[in-house]
Amino acid sequence: MRAEELKGHLDALLLAALEDGPRHGYAVIESLRQATGGRLDIATGTIYPALRRLEEAGLITGSWSVVAGRKRRDYRLTPAGARALAGKRADWRDFAAMISAALEGTPCPDPI
Amino acid sequence: MPGPNLISDYLTALSAQLPAQIVEELADGLDQTRQHYLNQGLDPDAATGAALAEFGLPHVIVAAYTRVSPARRTARRLLAAGPVVGACWATALITSQAWTWPVPIAGRVLFGIALISVIGLLAIAAFGSKYRSVGRAGAAGCVGITAFDAAMLITVALALPAVIGPMTLAMAASAARLIFTARALRPVLTG
Repeated sequence: MRAEELKGHLDALLLAALEDGPRHGYAVIESLRQATGGRLDIATGTIYPALRRLEEAGLITGSWSVVAGRKRRDYRLTPAGARALAGKRADWRDFAAMISAALEGTPCPDPI
Repeated sequence: MPGPNLISDYLTALSAQLPAQIVEELADGLDQTRQHYLNQGLDPDAATGAALAEFGLPHVIVAAYTRVSPARRTARRLLAAGPVVGACWATALITSQAWTWPVPIAGRVLFGIALISVIGLLAIAAFGSKYRSVGRAGAAGCVGITAFDAAMLITVALALPAVIGPMTLAMAASAARLIFTARALRPVLTG
């Protein structure tokens, strides 16, 4: 998937990657890579600013640790982030059902 | 050893534009990305090249951090709120016939220059492309707008015998902006 197609969905992907517990930036990237079968095509370096933006918004919280003499920042989901993720999941299901209905002629479910 | 040198150059390029803590986090991520490729069997130079390619160009990363900078976000909010607060003050000053107040002409000119300077700093923070200059301009703009609002509130409180009508609204608008800016200042200064 190309980076421009991810616009608007990156926040949900990052929040989902932190749903199972705290992760540092690279582990978040690895999680997304595994979850998408390696099809995610985005500059790794731009994931870190996105994590910072989510932290500023209070959706995740970061803390420093030291691993093998190197500083590492771990992120975890906040309650507000968990609520935002639930909302984004519902929005995505609604959106995907609507587009599938338009493209494939499948029945479009009523909005929640 | 070209591999480590390339990484060192890459991190130096980032350090020139970004705060140390951000660079430390990126350095850790870059190291892990390189390790990932080493574990896949690439030789050290190829692993370094693959890790750097995966991370992206330094200016792209700096631009991404600049877009999410607290200084930029705060400056944009202050610029958006500016016309509303300004309209409140314009109404209040016109209805109070502020031109009759005993303020020396030099003071009025200085006031105008200070206001234009603060707006200019906030504009640099809101639309600039360099992380450090965005941060500095944002911090200076926040301090400037705080001083501006505080000066207006103190001046009116001392100069007018009673605050009524539009002046009340203008003072409330400045007080609200003062509180917002004070809360936003810490992340702007540390960002």
